[in-house]
Amino acid sequence: MQSRRHTPETEDTGIDLAPMLDFTTNLLIFFIITTSFIKEAGITVFKPTAQTAFGRDSGNLLIAIRENGDIWMDRRRVDIRDVRPQMERLHIERPDDTVVIIADKESDAGVVAEVMDEVRLAGIQIMSIAADPAG
Amino acid sequence: MRKRRASGADQEHTGIDLAPMLDFVTNLLIFFIITAVFVKEAGLEVNRPTSFEQPQDEDSKSIQIQILENGEIWVDNRAVDVRAVRANVERMSAVNPDSGVLILAQERAPTGTLVEVVDQVHLGGINNITFSTTQ
Repeated sequence: MQSRRHTPETEDTGIDLAPMLDFTTNLLIFFIITTSFIKEAGITVFKPTAQTAFGRDSGNLLIAIRENGDIWMDRRRVDIRDVRPQMERLHIERPDDTVVIIADKESDAGVVAEVMDEVRLAGIQIMSIAADPAG
Repeated sequence: MRKRRASGADQEHTGIDLAPMLDFVTNLLIFFIITAVFVKEAGLEVNRPTSFEQPQDEDSKSIQIQILENGEIWVDNRAVDVRAVRANVERMSAVNPDSGVLILAQERAPTGTLVEVVDQVHLGGINNITFSTTQ
């Protein structure tokens, strides 16, 4: 089969891939940058629900508290005494970070209070307790 | 300036072939899309009293809500249902419009109840909530 050509020039036969490459590279850079910003807790807990819960864009350091009092951050189980040094390190790296404490419905309020104190002693003032927005 | 050609025989292809680079970049892109996490935690903001400012006394204007370890909620020395917290807060904030709410939770009180109370207080129109624990 002969390919139909509108122009008489014979030099360029294929599609120009340069714009697609530009576009793909931009997407790539976007995904590389956004992946490194969020420190996941690493476990899933049953969050309480609340009608007045609101999403905060910059909440990116997640600390999970299980119902038995285990504290998880950055995909590892940590002791309550390790929360403060780790938070201090992360706070120095990016001072704008905010903390979201994901506490299980059945976890003790005392553990939540201790974690909040440690985070605040590390210098991070903005923190919130995670809750699912009620339907 | 004349372009130097490595093998000057074929006249069709003048530019670099971008297709292999595009393949490579697309593979990277897919990898980062798959590993990307977009966490957007909704939450409630709660203050913690600093060590300098102790929880206020009962004669101050703040509204006190106690949460016992069995999940009971006490307002004004009366055990109330979680749905009655909002009405109580609305009534007391009508008397003292600039008052805050102090939530005193026992160490082993469930966090789910705490979040429910915070939610109800928010619905009652007060956003200045302080959270403290008692033995």
